[in-house]
Amino acid sequence: METIHLRIQDVCKSFGNLRVLNHVSLDVPQGSFTTFLGPSGCGKTTLLRTIAGFYTPDSGEIYLGNRFMNTVPSHLRNAIMVFQDYALFPHMTIEENITYGLRIRKMPKDQIQARLERTVGYLGIGNLLDRMPGQISGGQQQRVALARALIMEPELLLLDEPLSNLDAKLRINIRAELRQLQQRLKITTIYVTHDQAEALALSDRIAVMNEGKIVHYGTPQELYYHPADPFVASFIGKVNLIRGRVTQHTLEGTWVDVQNITLLVKNHFTYLQPQAEVILCVRPETVRIVRASGDREENAIPGYVTNFIFEGATIRYWVNALDQEWVVDVFDPAEVLPPDTKVFLRLKPERIHLLPGGSQK
Amino acid sequence: MSTRVREPVLFLVIGVLIASLMVFVVYPSIQVFLYPSGTDFIKILMNPRYQRSILNSLYIVVLSTLSATFLGFIYAYAITRTDIPFRKFFKGISLLPLFSPPFMVAFSYIMLFGKNGLITSKLLGLQVNIFGWHGLWFAQTVAFLPVASLVMEGVLQSIPPSLEYAGRNLGASGFTLFRTITFPLARPGVAGAALLVAIQVLADFGNPIMISGDFSVVATEAWMRVEGWADIAGAAVLSLLLLVPSFLIFLFQRYWVSRRSYVTITGKITQIDIQKTGTWIRWVLFLICFSLSLLIILVYLALFMGAFVEGWGFNWTPTLRYVQEILSRSPELTNSLLFSIFAGAGSAVFSITAAYIVSRKRFFGRRFIDFTCILPAALPGIFLGLGYSISYTKPPFDLYGTAAIVVLALMFWNIAMGYQTGIGVFQQISPSLSEAASNLGAGSLRIFREIEIPLIKGPFFSAFIVSFIRAITTLSVVVFIVTQKNVVTTFSIMNLVSDGFYGKAAALTCTLLIIAFGLLGITKLVLGKNVVLFKV
Ligand SMILES: Nc1ncnc2c1ncn2[C@@H]1O[C@H](COP(=O)(O)OP(=O)(O)OP(=O)(O)O)[C@@H](O)[C@H]1O
Ligand SMILES: [Mg+2]
Repeated sequence: METIHLRIQDVCKSFGNLRVLNHVSLDVPQGSFTTFLGPSGCGKTTLLRTIAGFYTPDSGEIYLGNRFMNTVPSHLRNAIMVFQDYALFPHMTIEENITYGLRIRKMPKDQIQARLERTVGYLGIGNLLDRMPGQISGGQQQRVALARALIMEPELLLLDEPLSNLDAKLRINIRAELRQLQQRLKITTIYVTHDQAEALALSDRIAVMNEGKIVHYGTPQELYYHPADPFVASFIGKVNLIRGRVTQHTLEGTWVDVQNITLLVKNHFTYLQPQAEVILCVRPETVRIVRASGDREENAIPGYVTNFIFEGATIRYWVNALDQEWVVDVFDPAEVLPPDTKVFLRLKPERIHLLPGGSQK
Repeated sequence: MSTRVREPVLFLVIGVLIASLMVFVVYPSIQVFLYPSGTDFIKILMNPRYQRSILNSLYIVVLSTLSATFLGFIYAYAITRTDIPFRKFFKGISLLPLFSPPFMVAFSYIMLFGKNGLITSKLLGLQVNIFGWHGLWFAQTVAFLPVASLVMEGVLQSIPPSLEYAGRNLGASGFTLFRTITFPLARPGVAGAALLVAIQVLADFGNPIMISGDFSVVATEAWMRVEGWADIAGAAVLSLLLLVPSFLIFLFQRYWVSRRSYVTITGKITQIDIQKTGTWIRWVLFLICFSLSLLIILVYLALFMGAFVEGWGFNWTPTLRYVQEILSRSPELTNSLLFSIFAGAGSAVFSITAAYIVSRKRFFGRRFIDFTCILPAALPGIFLGLGYSISYTKPPFDLYGTAAIVVLALMFWNIAMGYQTGIGVFQQISPSLSEAASNLGAGSLRIFREIEIPLIKGPFFSAFIVSFIRAITTLSVVVFIVTQKNVVTTFSIMNLVSDGFYGKAAALTCTLLIIAFGLLGITKLVLGKNVVLFKV
């Protein structure tokens, strides 16, 4: 059983009249890599800064280990943050920057030196120590910022979009390094991003936020295949959302009616009453597309191709079916179906996820 | 070259700008250099009296700059970075002196702390002589503290908050954070502020003429040279002694110190969550801010009181005599008001036009305009006034005793402020806006009228007000160029104070204050809050 390292309980925070965090609760396991994911302005940074102690929550509690943190000032929490703009001190050399926190703690010089060498070794920045922050590249600054945090051996490592200032290639490299380093050092890490691909690639757990609330907290797979609501579904990856109505539950699974087409969903959504409005979530890569010839097949929907783009490993089709636009990804395509081709979209019964039908389309 | 053909109006405007700067800034400055002969230099420099005044100036510049900067920094720090009570109030008080005559502090402190001073003599029963270096130091510290504080508030507020957050996050707090992060980051800005203050202290004429007594400084000696000996050459030598260090400090500040700055003052205020300040530090800071703002408030209280008592220091009977006298007949007030309106408007038009053209166009002479528009900030008022008095009181430009000479001097002395405000605003507004318009086929003039005029309104009015207020409150620029015919209020006040007519002097000063603050209030009402005044 994993132990809970950071516990956030019912935290609210407002700036003036603006409610930025709205009853946020979250348990972060020891040694895990947890990501806060959400659109711009949803309160990710605010939550992170509240954990770091820069902001005090208006209500609710924060525990680190078993310690009640609300009243602990930020400089006494060992929750170290890597800032989006790195926040390297421009008046100090790289070495002074990295050792700053330890010097503040008045750690003996030889110990600082030992830790410095180790940390710098991990990150491969040993040759930069005498430079000033203005004299090194963005990627190097990023590593220095990380070194400055890691050298503290933090209880909690907080990263606020640390890769957003880097170019795409560097991002992917540093992302992988970061994940390896984190797994090696087993530091409980919280990572903020609005890039869902980054979140999926890095995280043990993802907390999807929207308008100051955590709307879904779970593993990347849970989020991807069983999103809690249409927002989460469409925020992570591409998804087709279709309105339908539950008809019955059988041993095989749940049956859904979509515009008089009956579809089987091979998971039991028994909490949905028959006749309940539902939304089907169908990922583009779980749909098979076949030329329509002859009879309608099982779990298939008729439609016609409207557009496609060839992406090498895949072809992405736009298909009009049931009066709406579907996105379908075909891997290893044998042939290209030109626009206006009549097709069937065959849905895998085990790959359809159902959500209670709300207001959203 | 194509500019001339394609856009004749722009070409003409550039020509007028360059010609005006040559005639009204460069020419009078050069005249001061050319006027004295070699022997005049030697005569002045070998005279022990002037040697002493040079040392005195040096001494008081160092003292007043240090104290004003030091206290100004504490003040700025307290109101931007701590949670002491009444921060808004302190901030407001520190702005008042920026809209008041510079010599007012000395005058008021003579009434408060002098031999017959309200506080020293009447309340405490002390016999104090405030005239001398200590009085001057005191007055200048309070007079220049607001400028120092304002600049350093800008510096402190431009430090990226994430740096201080990072410092806290890594374990620093309170004084450690201040010592290792906040102060080192602010240091270049503080040095810059100190140099700005030094230039102003060096050029200060009003405070020493009133309060320094036997402690003579270069600025006052230059004036004495003309007043007592009618020796313009000697005055020219002395004012050059002011100009040279002032100019060097200016260059040093502009091209060296500001380059080393870690923070760029963008005027964009980034607010950091203020943490609880330690209890005793909080009270010490509060006490310092309280005392300093009290010293500022007292200046105004004494002046208003002075305008309403019969004989300050010996006869405290209330009277309306002085106020009536002023209102019934006061040509100098009319002059002051008219001259300043013209000078302020001229200065605003000139400086904003120059700022616009310099920030948007590339042309031959651009660097000249840029440099010469900022130059007046480094010219001591005494120096510029003398330059005008030498250049424009004899043919071919004989403006002796006219309104024009005063208006022109005040106008060009003030272009630097408006110009810098303008440049600041135009740099923030992306040129792509007008590029887009140009792309759609609009000519320069049309872009200017339709796209940029709406953006210019703010800086234009702030340039006008700042120039107007500086014009109506200055003494140093006008002492050499006013005569019976074009006398202005500040000059009369100086004479009244030196002759001991405090009541009338106080009433006149109050009238100036009412005009300045009245105008300020009206503009704020009309234009709303977003007029940036006094960008330093
Ligand atoms: N110090 C503050 N004062 C007032 N409002 C703030 C402050 N900080 C953030 N906000 C507001 O709170 C909301 C959430 O901000 P936050 O920075 O947490 O968003 P975010 O999820 O990190 O967004 P982004 O992805 O753009 O960084 C925003 O509407 C923002 O304008
Ligand atoms: Mg953010």
